[in-house]
Amino acid sequence: MTTIEAIGLSKRYGARNALDGLTFAADQGEVIGLLGPNGAGKTTTIRLLTTILEPTGGTFTVAGIPGDQPDRIRQRIGVLPESAGYPARQTGGEYLRYAARLFGRSRHDARGVADRLLTDVGLSDRAGARISTYSRGMKQRLGIARALINDPAVVFLDEPTLGLDPAGQREILATIGEIGRGATVVLSTHTLTEVEQVCTSVLILDRGRLRAAGPIDKVVAGAGSLSAAFLNLTEEARHV
Amino acid sequence: MSRWTVVAEQESRDLWVGGRGPALVFGFSVLLSAMTYLAATNQAMNFLEQREAVNLIVQVGLAVGVLLTVVVSADAISGERERGTFEGLLLTPVSRRAIVVGKLAAASTIWLACLVVTLPYLWVLGRGVAGAVQAALLALTVGTLVATGLGGISLLISAVTNSNKTSLAWGLLLLLVLFAPTQLPALPKTGVGEVITRVNPIGSSLHYVSQILVSRRDWTHDLSYLASPIVIAVIVTGVLIAAGPRLVRLTAGPR
Repeated sequence: MTTIEAIGLSKRYGARNALDGLTFAADQGEVIGLLGPNGAGKTTTIRLLTTILEPTGGTFTVAGIPGDQPDRIRQRIGVLPESAGYPARQTGGEYLRYAARLFGRSRHDARGVADRLLTDVGLSDRAGARISTYSRGMKQRLGIARALINDPAVVFLDEPTLGLDPAGQREILATIGEIGRGATVVLSTHTLTEVEQVCTSVLILDRGRLRAAGPIDKVVAGAGSLSAAFLNLTEEARHV
Repeated sequence: MSRWTVVAEQESRDLWVGGRGPALVFGFSVLLSAMTYLAATNQAMNFLEQREAVNLIVQVGLAVGVLLTVVVSADAISGERERGTFEGLLLTPVSRRAIVVGKLAAASTIWLACLVVTLPYLWVLGRGVAGAVQAALLALTVGTLVATGLGGISLLISAVTNSNKTSLAWGLLLLLVLFAPTQLPALPKTGVGEVITRVNPIGSSLHYVSQILVSRRDWTHDLSYLASPIVIAVIVTGVLIAAGPRLVRLTAGPR
């Protein structure tokens, strides 16, 4: 079952093309790596599919819902934004309960789901502590818990391991692997080894254009490694 | 429970439990204490009549209460943009309208808190329940209108700016421009001054309050002076609700 479908998706800022005619589809349970150099259009792609930005061209559906119904799409997705900010004075538990209530859960249900997710991401013992006292890794885990607060059909994670130590990265990747058992996951990252570890397919973007899409082994074919394929595709585009 | 109330509840909690609200209200109460002391001593020395002292405190309470509402509203959207927490709110299925209404409702709680703080001072200066109740009801009615209108304008400014300092500066400038003419005593007596007083929501509100408390007019006698605060409150609330989906975005400026 297709959970994400983008056809000719574009975003322009004045004369600059942030994203140019992106077309791809993803199925339920797929974990897609979104790769590209800085400024390739990864975050723009995520912000378009999560209805934070409006496209200047093209159409898309997420969880079977057309892009012109943003409220319904947001009900079915979970997102960890790039450089997500956290209200420093709220506790982790309060933060998740508020998120759950914004998704329409009752006060009682919100408490239940917040407690469960805090346990799932290993933060149950810090539920009552202010977020300002959390380490970066703990904040990222809290962000992932928030992204799962509504049992989403599609989860978007924008550089979830940025700034984490190897142990923190491993924990986050393990969590992503667990999410991928039910929902479609779009993982934007610069770290190719992460993609090789957890993703089933990749999209490689460069300067707003799609350079390659498909299962990792197909994209890698002939290049020897994902790293070599990535550099070939993005540097090739620079010489064209 | 509708979702704007969820937003309003959490925003209010952040304001009051987070510590910003109590700090602002503490400052307000210190100012009001000083003003009340001065008014009471002047009253004791027959420099100031009792009703003028009550009027002074209502006017200070109203002006500073509205100022604090503007300060809190100015931070509501641009502040969240700066702190990076706005995207998380925009990613929920809560409508943009519900977000602005919830934020405006939460910002209005600071005005209500200022009103509550003003009550004992009115009771002391009004020398009893009757005078204090009338002044308090007047402050509640008129102040809520002005706080809603100017707090809403401040929220609009916050929505169209990315910097918290910019939105705060514009909000305070607006308040200064509206408040300055009220300090010119001759204004209501001249033709142009009368127009300026009636158009200015703060000037007309303070004039209306003083007519009732000092000149002992009936509540309905100068009701036309409330036209400006009512119109501004209705228009601003309407604009926030109608234009909310276009205004409440991740960043201000061109789409």
